[in-house]
Amino acid sequence: MLRLTLAQMRRSIGRLVSAGIAIAIGTAFVAATLLVGNVITRTTYDAFAASYAHADLVVTGPVSPDVVGAVRSTAGVAAVSVRPQLGLQLSAGSHRAYVLVTEATSEPRLEAQTLIAGSFPSAAGEIALPRATAERLGLHVGDQVDTTHAVGTPSAGTVTSAGTPSGTPSAAVDHGGAEAAGTPTTTPESSVTWVEKRDRLTVVGLVDDPAGAFATSGGAAVLSPSQAEGFAQDQAGSSAVIDDALILTVDGARGTVAVQHELTSVLPHDVAVRTRDEQAQASVASATGDTQSILIVVLGFAAIALIVAALVISNTFQVIVAQRTRMLALLRCVGADKGQLRRSVLMEAALLGLAASAVGLLTGITVVQLTLQVLQRTNADAHLPSTAPLSIVALVLPIVIGTTVTLLAGLAPARAATRVAPLAALRPTEAPTLAGRPGRVRLLLAGTLTLGGTVVLVSAVTLAARVGPLTALGLGVLGGAVSFIGVLVGAVLWIPPVVGVAGRLVARMGTSARLAAANTVRNPRRTAATSTALLIGVTLVTMMSAGAVSARATLDGKLDATYPVDVAVQAIPGADGSTGGLPPGVASTVAHVDGVRTVVPVTEATVRVTPASGTGAVGPTETLHGISATDVAAVLRDGASIAPLDDRTLVLSSPVARSLQVHTGDAVTVVATDATGAARSGVAPIRLTVAVTSLPGQEALVTPTTMAAVAPGAPSPLVWAQLTSTDNAPDVVPAIQDALTDQSVSVTGGAVERASYQRVIDTLLAVVVGLLGVAVVIALVGVANTLSLSVIERRRESATLRAIGLARGQLRAMLAIEGMVIAGVGAVLGIGLGLVYGWAGAATMLGSMGPVRLSVPWRDLGLVVLVALVAGFVASVLPGRAAARTSPVAALAVD
Amino acid sequence: MDTTVYQPFATPTSARPTETVRARALSKVYGNGAAAVRAVDAVDVTFTAGAFTAIMGPSGSGKSTLMHLLAGLDTATSGQAFLGDTEITSLGDKELTQLRRDRIGFVFQSFNLLPMFTAEQNIMLPLELAGSRVDADVLSWKDMLVSTLALGDRLQHRPSELSGGQQQRVAIARALIARPDVVFADEPTGNLDSRSGAEVLSFLRRSVRELGRTIIMVTHDPAAAAYADRVVLIADGRIAGDIADPTPESVLAGLDALRSFEIASGPLASAATSTTTVRD
Repeated sequence: MLRLTLAQMRRSIGRLVSAGIAIAIGTAFVAATLLVGNVITRTTYDAFAASYAHADLVVTGPVSPDVVGAVRSTAGVAAVSVRPQLGLQLSAGSHRAYVLVTEATSEPRLEAQTLIAGSFPSAAGEIALPRATAERLGLHVGDQVDTTHAVGTPSAGTVTSAGTPSGTPSAAVDHGGAEAAGTPTTTPESSVTWVEKRDRLTVVGLVDDPAGAFATSGGAAVLSPSQAEGFAQDQAGSSAVIDDALILTVDGARGTVAVQHELTSVLPHDVAVRTRDEQAQASVASATGDTQSILIVVLGFAAIALIVAALVISNTFQVIVAQRTRMLALLRCVGADKGQLRRSVLMEAALLGLAASAVGLLTGITVVQLTLQVLQRTNADAHLPSTAPLSIVALVLPIVIGTTVTLLAGLAPARAATRVAPLAALRPTEAPTLAGRPGRVRLLLAGTLTLGGTVVLVSAVTLAARVGPLTALGLGVLGGAVSFIGVLVGAVLWIPPVVGVAGRLVARMGTSARLAAANTVRNPRRTAATSTALLIGVTLVTMMSAGAVSARATLDGKLDATYPVDVAVQAIPGADGSTGGLPPGVASTVAHVDGVRTVVPVTEATVRVTPASGTGAVGPTETLHGISATDVAAVLRDGASIAPLDDRTLVLSSPVARSLQVHTGDAVTVVATDATGAARSGVAPIRLTVAVTSLPGQEALVTPTTMAAVAPGAPSPLVWAQLTSTDNAPDVVPAIQDALTDQSVSVTGGAVERASYQRVIDTLLAVVVGLLGVAVVIALVGVANTLSLSVIERRRESATLRAIGLARGQLRAMLAIEGMVIAGVGAVLGIGLGLVYGWAGAATMLGSMGPVRLSVPWRDLGLVVLVALVAGFVASVLPGRAAARTSPVAALAVD
Repeated sequence: MDTTVYQPFATPTSARPTETVRARALSKVYGNGAAAVRAVDAVDVTFTAGAFTAIMGPSGSGKSTLMHLLAGLDTATSGQAFLGDTEITSLGDKELTQLRRDRIGFVFQSFNLLPMFTAEQNIMLPLELAGSRVDADVLSWKDMLVSTLALGDRLQHRPSELSGGQQQRVAIARALIARPDVVFADEPTGNLDSRSGAEVLSFLRRSVRELGRTIIMVTHDPAAAAYADRVVLIADGRIAGDIADPTPESVLAGLDALRSFEIASGPLASAATSTTTVRD
């Protein structure tokens, strides 16, 4: 039987190959995903290991000076190097950069980076920079560089509106022991006042990071130990924890194990002592938790691609079996039993699956390998392994999955093969048709699943505002998945009529179109399966796109309220905490930066606000901003939040109102204060009415007129700017910073954060659509497959048409239209379904946040339809050529 | 095509109104060298317009190949074939397609109707492919065909709902709808039982006699050939005889003579008994 199977496979080799492509793509996807996982794990391990240099032991956890002291005094510890949790803002000329910091060590085995020029810093006031950073800043050995780091001091309760300084620990990249328990948390900002401290250091050396120890941050600057630890202490604020790791070497006389035991017993329980290798493994393990979940999500997309591939394969096998009806019947006549036929088909599926999976695996390995090569060549800092690390899992799993999927896809066709009656061998062959009408069971199943799923989905949408977002999301996913499965199960029932309607529309275009339209409905089951394969991919792509666009539209409103000011440029307070006005020219400089639409100056005064009906207690001081209503409308994203602003009103953000215990409509007295917090002499208190608005943060606004009365001559230390588009913020904000680099000002604002949110959404969407694109590609292979099968089946018919006067071009056009109708229907139906699911998803996830704005991603949808039509056309090219080559003489052939 | 115009045979149809299809030293060779098979060997033959001619011969005699060459379905190795004053052996695929569409009709052994179209749509298909206007004239011609072929109550049926004889009658109507110069029928009764076959043959004959069409039919069945006005016998790729006003008996006699001659002396050298070979 095996020999027969192989002989049959040889006869159908063309069709099997095109079906195999589908499974190979899916398998390559799985293989590439697993390999990329391996690469990430290896890279992570290498980076961790490299960052510990040649240390014998690594101590991680909340490392305080006490811990450092204890380690240093332990017998057998030869040298210790601390890894401060510290980042520095560097500026030179108009350029800025952010670097991580390590401390210089006298023990070369603890130095992860290599010196390429100058020397390592040995005293305070010296710094060695990563070469790339130095190049970016235009610095050489001997040059001066300005550094800024945050100094936190426990707050006395006065809350300033300066916000978070740049270069806070939260922005630092955690490079060391990233284990969950060991990551020190920064102290809550509300109890710490942050001040930026500036230093001018001399560049004494340049370092390189050949092993990629600090690859994530592009190298690390090196400071002398005393300065590094001093800075780290500054930045830690009130917290005793200044470092997150220290590495050490062991005196050869005492074994590493003995020192490790002793340190473990001496140090606090939340501090871990591990060998370099153990620590790297542990760090990888905790870091790969995230990698693992990303891989699982990506494998989910691979699963979708494989499901589509299974549809394509099942389809192909059905046709192969149908075409072999006579042969199968003949086998039955000469004594083959049903089991043998079934086994023959399944054996064929298994062989195809095995071969295609092997090809897919090789393709996946090649793709990853090529990508690595390209990345290594173009991105030398990536520190990627030169060959993809092959694990047993990454080699075996894709083959197992690919073969299993193919085998499963072959089950239905195998059953069809057993249904062939021996009598069929004696009848003349007609064009093969697939098994008859779909049964009632299918109708019932499809209906139940679709309706049930829809009910769950609708309830998820309507309940989203009441139940938690997680519950709503769970319900939504369940309902969506069940109803979609129902839709797919029922595809055989409802897609052919839709194709029929589309065909009738197309048929008006001419004869070729009419023939094509008639052909598409000839084999409803196959047309349905082909369209379904495409439908799955398109539905998911559209769902993601529509969901993301709706989420973005909905979140835009939220972001407008959260980040009303794109960019704020503020004079840096003097040593006594008082703020003068901005240096002249700042506003116009900002206004001249490309991408800035509006710049509005804001006056500022420190005032004391006292509720008129209060207890009479002296209230805290607030920073009051003066800005006119028209300026506010021009510069704020969410103009409605300051609508009540007029000369008699004090507009407060709700956090301020809450701390003052005032509400909209309350009367308050506002009096300007001086640096000591006492009322300014010679200025009368002003009575104003409070209006509490949705402004975020600590904000109190009055009109310039009111400001002139409250604090005559109030300086303007602040301008607010609006950008033409927040999407450009990552480019425009640094441009503003560069333009103002000589000025003593700070540039802050929500635009960058906002843009990064949008960028995250856009990037995720692009990645997801890219991953789903694989499923679409497989489906398009299916379209081409279906068309070429049609061509083979209709050889006699094509010849007849040619004999009675159909031109070659018309024949090709007929197939092209057929392909475009099948693909177009799949795409349009997929878009319809995808929009519904995308909107339902957006409504479910964002319903708890308020009204959801449903949007249609027209551009993406147009692209999907275009791709489908073009692909349908392209899929018809090769089959069309084959059909056009058919000689009309074939029409006269009897068999 | 210049050569066509200056051919000695290419006189206008009006000059020789009775000659529709002609072959001039037409040959078709398959294979090369020793393995070469001369399926059609330097055949000269003329078919009269308005007549029902049968090409007859045993299996492998080259009759089907001759028909393919005459109909422009296959390319000749040498020689010429004419439809009216057009030399079809010199035409490209585009011209041949146009020729088949406008001037030639086909009836196939296995009917070859398009399964997704109704009988009526099948009949009208050649006109649709040609993009011709369906005017009153065409409609009355169609009605005449439909009534002649007794298909009136079958027009809205699909091929799968028709009997073999009915399907072949639809195919005949399809072949005649564009009023072609000639209809080629390849074993039109091969897939039919004898009663349906007889029916189809008499319809073919009526199409010639009552509607003035020209039909060339390839068959190996003497009874079928007897329906024709004339039978051209072919053996080993050559014209082996010509029977005017045949009867089943005269056709059989001709075939027998052919066979006995073949058995007696191998390949045929000259005309067989009781025939008058027509040469121009």
